[in-house]
Amino acid sequence: MFNYRIIGLLKRELQEKLLSKTFIIMTIAIPVLMFVLIGVQTLLMSYEGDENTKLELITESNNLTESFKTELDSLPFVKNGYYSFDYLTLSRAQLETYLMDKKQDLLDEKITGIFFVSDSAKNSKEIDFYSKAPNNATVTQKLSSYLNKVLIDNYFSHKELSDEDLSFARKRVDFTGYKISKGQEIEEEGYGNMILSILFTLLLYFSLIMMGQMTMQSVMEEKSSRVVEVLLSSVSSKELMSAKIFGASFTGLMQMAVWLIPLILVAFTSYFALPAGMDIQITALHIVYLLFNFFLGLITFIGLFVMIGSMFDNAQEAQSAMWPVLMLIMIPFFIALSLTKNPANPLSEISSMLPFASIIVMPARMTLVDVPVWQFVLSIIINIATIMVIFPIAGKVFRIAILRTGKKPKFSEFIKWLKFSN
Amino acid sequence: MNALEVRNLTKKFDGITAVNNASFDVPEGSIFGLIGRNGAGKTTTIRMMMNIYMPDSGEVVLRGTKVGQEFKNKVGYLPEERGLYKKMKVLDTLLFFAEVKGVTGKEVNKKALDYLERFDLLDRKSSKIEDLSKGNQQKVQFISTILHDPEFIILDEPFSGLDPINTNLLREIIVEQKQKGKVIILSTHLMDFAERMCDHIAMIDQGKIILNGSLNSLKQKFAQRNVSITYNGNISFLHGNPLIESISDYGNSTGIKVKDSDNIQELLKLLVENKVEIKNFSANEISLQEIFVELAGKEEGEILEVSNV
Repeated sequence: MFNYRIIGLLKRELQEKLLSKTFIIMTIAIPVLMFVLIGVQTLLMSYEGDENTKLELITESNNLTESFKTELDSLPFVKNGYYSFDYLTLSRAQLETYLMDKKQDLLDEKITGIFFVSDSAKNSKEIDFYSKAPNNATVTQKLSSYLNKVLIDNYFSHKELSDEDLSFARKRVDFTGYKISKGQEIEEEGYGNMILSILFTLLLYFSLIMMGQMTMQSVMEEKSSRVVEVLLSSVSSKELMSAKIFGASFTGLMQMAVWLIPLILVAFTSYFALPAGMDIQITALHIVYLLFNFFLGLITFIGLFVMIGSMFDNAQEAQSAMWPVLMLIMIPFFIALSLTKNPANPLSEISSMLPFASIIVMPARMTLVDVPVWQFVLSIIINIATIMVIFPIAGKVFRIAILRTGKKPKFSEFIKWLKFSN
Repeated sequence: MNALEVRNLTKKFDGITAVNNASFDVPEGSIFGLIGRNGAGKTTTIRMMMNIYMPDSGEVVLRGTKVGQEFKNKVGYLPEERGLYKKMKVLDTLLFFAEVKGVTGKEVNKKALDYLERFDLLDRKSSKIEDLSKGNQQKVQFISTILHDPEFIILDEPFSGLDPINTNLLREIIVEQKQKGKVIILSTHLMDFAERMCDHIAMIDQGKIILNGSLNSLKQKFAQRNVSITYNGNISFLHGNPLIESISDYGNSTGIKVKDSDNIQELLKLLVENKVEIKNFSANEISLQEIFVELAGKEEGEILEVSNV
């Protein structure tokens, strides 16, 4: 399959790619970048911007006001000054005038908001919240359970229930997930595999796009620098195309293997201990499948990118043709990410065996649910079949397009090239 | 014997016929010139010979069998539009192109260094291609064309962009290769180069081969009624003379075509009588340029075949 000409070309491809600064930097930078991205996202999500929240809480009875004061003042975010409360006892009639007095303070955000717990709220749990931004979920969500607790305590204090009963009533349902899988003991499932599935999805996505674009770029360079004609005087267009695709695919595979090393160390050795609930359950077969499947994916997508590269002189012109291919990577990417919500949904099961999609979806899926062996086999067969379809198509287009220069090819020309038989 | 036979090649692009039913033979051990104007179809013809383009019809036969990969292995090809990997180093480039032709090892390494020395590029062997001047890049490209010792050397416009010294060096090496028995096919629009170097030519115009054969027999055929003169004085009296068919001024020399070959002596007499100072009078001599201009000007002229001897 690989004659000396392809090997010669392959050697150059590998040398150029593996030893290029961009590649080495990207191989290191992408995992780092990913952790930074995840970190920034978590930070942004956790940043609520609610420091210096000044609140007032008004009830219609001194007793209730006291209960709220006791409960709220003991909260950590009140103790450390993030939130501060003033407590008042006013009747509903007095409230009207009080609010008028405080209107300017509320508008100037000197006071974030005023809670009013009327007597009727003792039974109805309906609390009024006066604020410039009453829909501010951060404040209401944060306080909801504590306010609820005071109202519950108050409600049951006359019903002679023990504290134990009360604390039971207040307790929420707590789920512990156990993964059921064939032939194994039932194990408690942590967050480890969820993170792993996101990790696989991101790595596959980044790598496919990066390797694809890189190869497309290098085809366009060869085309515009006219090296391609010299090459074609020695090798056939099919050999040149295969060398480009396999060169980039080997490079991508190598990169993925480098990225997986830390994971393999964590999953299969005891050198690194993960925090409880973060255990990773993955088998060696999974890793082998992942790499093999990814290699097939690289060949598929790089084949498409090489085809596009051969048609255009520069990246700008290639944009429009690149979109459909990028969609074939992006849609499965989103499906794979959605798996963390419900790994067993039928869409993911089907798409993990569809051409193009299976490359990204299956690895994410296999970390979360037990995938039957036949599905692995089927996805591999389908991916190989996809390559068998794409290779001749890419070959036809590549052969004609690579020597063409000048104006951007039209879609009709692309169809004509496909029909070209010899 | 013919090393390569081009038979009825036709290639169309978007309805425009780039090469139209082109046929010619390239004899063994010769320097063969494919000549014609820019855009005449030279490069397309060469690409079809190289199996880079598939012809719409016709074929190229290498010593009795249709060309394919086997021919590619035996060829060194210098395309008109030069192309090298810009980031690759000079020596690496040479070795890479030899490797895809299946030639590797110490010997080729040594040979590459020898050629670099000959082209005065030895000190640049570790430079990146992009750091070389255009002329030097051309030299590297030429070395890569012949480094693997091909049987056929196809050079598309080999002299474009080279200074006179390197042009001479290149010519020297081409002749040297011919002496080694290699078949050299070169395309050029520079007729005087072709005339000085080629044994055989095919002339292409608007995609059609309009002339094909050995340079000697072509000249013999066309020279009979042609006179080339170099002179001082005024020859305007010749215009309208019944002996003369046409006068073409080529700068340094003037070509005069008489209506009948018997008129040549008459013409010389006329010039002397009219006190034209003759510096050079060459009867039966015609430049390739003149032949080309004469033929290319013709409407739909039929192909002129002359003997290959």
